[in-house]
Amino acid sequence: MLANLATTPFPRMANAKPKIVADKVRMSFGRVNAIEDVTCTIGEQEFVSIIGPSGCGKSTFLYLIAGFEKSSGGTISVNGTTVTRPGPDRGVVFQEFVLFPWRTVLRNITLGLEIQKVPRREAEERARKWIRLTGLSGFEDAYPATLSGGMKQRVAIARALTYEPEVLLLDEPFGALDVQTKNYMIRDLQNLWIEANKTIVMVTHSVEEAVLMADRVLVFGARPSSIVADVRIDLPHPRTVDDRRLREYQAEVTAVLSAEVDRSMSLERAHPA
Amino acid sequence: MSADATILAPVRSRPDIRRLSLSIARPLISIGTVFLVWEVAARAGWINAFLFPPPSAIAATLWQELLSGELLQHIGRSLYRLLTGMALAVVFGTLIGIAIGMTAWGRAIFKPLISAFMPVPTLAWTPVLLLLVGINDRTTIIVVFIAAAFEVIYTVVSGIEGMSVRLFWVARSMGASRQQIFWKIILPGIMPYLITGIRLGSGYAWRALIAAEMLAASSYGLGFMIFDASEYMTMEVIYGGILLIAIFGYVIENVIVGRLEAATVEKWGVQVAR
Ligand SMILES: Nc1ncnc2c1ncn2[C@@H]1O[C@H](COP(=O)(O)OP(=O)(O)OP(=O)(O)O)[C@@H](O)[C@H]1O
Ligand SMILES: [Mg+2]
Repeated sequence: MLANLATTPFPRMANAKPKIVADKVRMSFGRVNAIEDVTCTIGEQEFVSIIGPSGCGKSTFLYLIAGFEKSSGGTISVNGTTVTRPGPDRGVVFQEFVLFPWRTVLRNITLGLEIQKVPRREAEERARKWIRLTGLSGFEDAYPATLSGGMKQRVAIARALTYEPEVLLLDEPFGALDVQTKNYMIRDLQNLWIEANKTIVMVTHSVEEAVLMADRVLVFGARPSSIVADVRIDLPHPRTVDDRRLREYQAEVTAVLSAEVDRSMSLERAHPA
Repeated sequence: MSADATILAPVRSRPDIRRLSLSIARPLISIGTVFLVWEVAARAGWINAFLFPPPSAIAATLWQELLSGELLQHIGRSLYRLLTGMALAVVFGTLIGIAIGMTAWGRAIFKPLISAFMPVPTLAWTPVLLLLVGINDRTTIIVVFIAAAFEVIYTVVSGIEGMSVRLFWVARSMGASRQQIFWKIILPGIMPYLITGIRLGSGYAWRALIAAEMLAASSYGLGFMIFDASEYMTMEVIYGGILLIAIFGYVIENVIVGRLEAATVEKWGVQVAR
């Protein structure tokens, strides 16, 4: 849709209005201390990527922003209001998709609009756009049980995008996709972000994905985690993977991340959970 | 998968037809053999033909009862009681099951009650109900309700426990109200389990109903028909009643619930652990 957009403004910057503010957030599950102390500010329309060793609390942090769980300490606010419960201003794409098995692809995707009492015709109209962009055309009437993992993930992405929340919380949204589809989706998500001025927080395992898409990359440390690096990717959008400066950023983030992964692994070995 | 679903599936190839006819033929052969041996034995005088009247005589009696309209009254009345009791059990059982599965107060109130009363055989309630409600349809309907409700509650609770909490998260992050969560998430989410509950519950309810009709039906019903026939020692009617109970029991449990399954669980491609 916006592939012909030649240039766009520089990354939305630090001087943007704060959208999400996390202040000394802690989270423990019984004896497991998942998040120790996370403090950060995510600006309006910023695209922030979170990366970190497996099991360090990335999903947990996303759920706290979404308001699904209550933190053990600290506060998170969105638009200046403390988060206490989920709301339609924050859309979530789960790592495990979480589709409704009794609803067809189309009905899964229109659910958000249905809940907001948007007339059925209009809801379907708006869903079609994302069905097309996620390559799900022809599968509107299929039930989730018949879809591949990658297709389920695309349904989950389309479902979150269709009801147009201001903030998108994406938990490894491309994890189950093949490279080809993933590249399409990355491009479309970038375009969406440029066009629709959303605030996006995306958890990913891929440094390349993170530096390609995000204004900022937050590196979470080994559990109990806090933010060990906050790297601003000072390059205009849309970016291409073969940009030399992008490679430099990638190397920088990778270096911090590998150190944390090493630390995480040695901690695991020393104190197996 | 019920036999009914096999019938509904499109016929693709000859082996399918063969498998289908075999699946129908095998039980018919075994049942038919029993009847045949019985018939011959009764006619030849190897067994007491009064206590074991030949199947042909049972069929003739049933036919007469049917022509007189009596039989249809019995069947109709039993089905009316069963369906009314089942409908109540499904509605209240589902609501109570959801209250237990979703709320602390529901668990606190209902769980101890259910653990206490579930082991009580449904028929043990009949004398109490007779005194409270009297000899009428309401007593038998309540017996059906009790027999089925526990099973429905039980499966609904395990259905809710089997639902991922994330399904609720997704709905709430879209701004769903309590009502919307009930209608759009909980009800369809528990449906596969609820259907299992209805299947098991209707089986229990049918058995309990027939027994209750023997104790507490003023008139009509298959149970009453058998009980009444035993007063007059008309063995053909007794056996005919038993036969009909077996047939209707099978139809209710497998064909009707099978339809429900085909319309939901099988369409969605969902598996339910039994
Ligand atoms: N509901 C829960 N109950 C108990 N422990 C939990 C719960 N949720 C998460 N944890 C623990 O908290 C830690 C962080 O989990 P989380 O899922 O947030 O990690 P993650 O960074 O998303 O990992 P991954 O990259 O593998 O998805 C893990 O050790 C996990 O076992
Ligand atoms: Mg995770």
